[in-house]
Amino acid sequence: MLSATTVIRNTPLFGRMFNVDTDTGLEEINAWPGLMIMISFVWLLIAGLLGVAMPVTQIFELDSSLFYGAITAHGAALAFPFTFQLMVGVSLHRAASCLGTPVTGPLPALIFWFMNIGALLLALAVLLGLNISYAVMFPLPIVGVETGQWSMGTVILGFTGIALVLVTVILLYPLQIIKMLFFDNRRDDLLLSPRSLKDPGMLGMAIAAFVLLITGLPIIIVASAVLLGLYGILPMNLITWATEPVVFQFTFFIFAHNLMEAMAIMVISAVYATLPLYLADGTRKLYSDRLANLALWILLVTSLTSFFHHFFTMFPALPAALSYHGNIMSWGTGVGAALTIFTITATIWKHGLRPDPGLMTVIMGFVLYIFDGVSAIITSNVAWSFQLHGTMWQSGHTMAVLIAMAMIWIGVFMHHYPVITGRTLNKKPGYWFVGLFTTGALGVSYSFLAAGAAGMPRRFAAWNQEGWMVYGNLILFFGLILGAGMAALAYDLYKSRLISEPAGGKSAVPAE
Amino acid sequence: MLDFLYQSGWGAFTVLLFFQIPFVTVFLYIVYRKSFVDSGASDTASKKMTRVETIWMSGVIGIFLLVNIVSIPYFPAISTSQAAKLDKDIQDVDVTAMSWSYEMSEREFVVGRPVRFNAKSSDTVHGFAIYHPNGRILFTMMLIPGVSKSSLIYTFKDPGTYKVRCLEYCGLAHHDMNDELVVTASSN
Repeated sequence: MLSATTVIRNTPLFGRMFNVDTDTGLEEINAWPGLMIMISFVWLLIAGLLGVAMPVTQIFELDSSLFYGAITAHGAALAFPFTFQLMVGVSLHRAASCLGTPVTGPLPALIFWFMNIGALLLALAVLLGLNISYAVMFPLPIVGVETGQWSMGTVILGFTGIALVLVTVILLYPLQIIKMLFFDNRRDDLLLSPRSLKDPGMLGMAIAAFVLLITGLPIIIVASAVLLGLYGILPMNLITWATEPVVFQFTFFIFAHNLMEAMAIMVISAVYATLPLYLADGTRKLYSDRLANLALWILLVTSLTSFFHHFFTMFPALPAALSYHGNIMSWGTGVGAALTIFTITATIWKHGLRPDPGLMTVIMGFVLYIFDGVSAIITSNVAWSFQLHGTMWQSGHTMAVLIAMAMIWIGVFMHHYPVITGRTLNKKPGYWFVGLFTTGALGVSYSFLAAGAAGMPRRFAAWNQEGWMVYGNLILFFGLILGAGMAALAYDLYKSRLISEPAGGKSAVPAE
Repeated sequence: MLDFLYQSGWGAFTVLLFFQIPFVTVFLYIVYRKSFVDSGASDTASKKMTRVETIWMSGVIGIFLLVNIVSIPYFPAISTSQAAKLDKDIQDVDVTAMSWSYEMSEREFVVGRPVRFNAKSSDTVHGFAIYHPNGRILFTMMLIPGVSKSSLIYTFKDPGTYKVRCLEYCGLAHHDMNDELVVTASSN
């Protein structure tokens, strides 16, 4: 038995939901992905509690540092150890079962431990007072020390955690995907649903891995220099180039922006791969693979340099020409999205659907993803950016894209669930999850966007100004509905039954 | 109408709904119909599908172009360069943001006279956003320390007390980083 399987089995409560099936000979593709997925849900629980804590601190007018601590930890937990780790787990399982390659060896273990130890160290630093927001806002960590807001020890601790997470996201995970795609030998006993790079479902995976690796290297270099300086290994006068705020900000956003784009490409490729398996006429083909691949290439080309939209409001420090370029490229991603919408809609129209909670989770996640894409391109228009940058609109965009991607991955996970665990899910709680989670996600998203439209600043511990508390109350209300949705999913996972066990409701089609 | 759409957050929200509502209506209708009403394969001719695809993509690209081209006059870079060319009587204001206050060379302005805000930060990343008395954001600037100043020209249209807020998270008292500007109707 693999160590990952043992960890899952020995985890209280969650272990029962994610217990890996060791009887099918597929443990080598199930164990590490299963463990990553399970732990990602533990982080979601933590992120959810922190999410509730934010409006609560505002409603009861508690100390503002509690709000800033909660927002830093909530954002970091939601983005990395939850959404990213969920994506890693499900996508590695998908890659393994489509390529016939095991998810074993040092890389998956390093991915798991680096991500979670890194997240724990950052969480510890936040608890000790490092309230820098998940976007780091460099040079705030250093300025905070100089102004007595937190200690240098917490900065070193937090940056160590961030470094471990960055190494996972930028190096280890892409290398694992590239290794599986191009270097590992195929094993027929692990191959469940053969796919090649010509399939949109695999092409997006390869593109995303290379985007993460290439666009993340600059921040790895800069952050490593800063960290070595903080440790005292490099003299500070040797790293002044890395501590220039503009250097750090640009390398950070080139990475952070493309991280989201890479995750978007990865998740859309997962939609392309999953949808055909539920077509009513059994064709198991998209309307057009060529259109689907074209959409992925357009998304890649346009998204790479659209990161300039993070800096429009620096004008003229960011030259107007680069703003216009960022504007055009950002809306260009919308052209790729329009092609994706057409491909998916045409596929459903031509071949019909066999409804299932997992599929509906993917579809509603896709709806949220497109909704969020609209809010993203609007704030990437130069004129609107000067009205919306730094407001809750952008928090809403960030949160909505994370929720949308997480929802799609959860849907894909529900599809893979029988292969990983040897058990099936029930339809009724599955549909409850889809309904509640979609309602909560839409409500939270619109509350954030409306707050931004009303001028409410993001990352701002004074919601009682200008009547903005109404948006805070709405965010709390719909956030609780999101939580109820997750409770329905947890119930579904907990009450899952063995595939051989008869029950009233049938579940998913066999996973790939 | 265009001023509302391009110079207010609620204008952006209106455009958001303009894009989202048709998409969600058509998409979910098709999902519902092909899942629960008639899940069989459709015999729509491929020629017709291609025509729909062409119309859809042309429509999307056309609307995208229209929305962005119409927005160009509202780009601060454009309005700033036009004001710099046309107006000789521009009031210059130097703004330095620091944790958690602003140093401003002027805080009183006159309706109709262009003001050039030259802003920079002296410590960490800050914002400089001006709110109309009705709560609408007129513009926001991101100030990264070490970067040459951010600058744009704005002409106030209404008298009143305008709030200034930092919109970039800058530490534990970020929410207290604000200031006020007073705009009067006439210099006389």
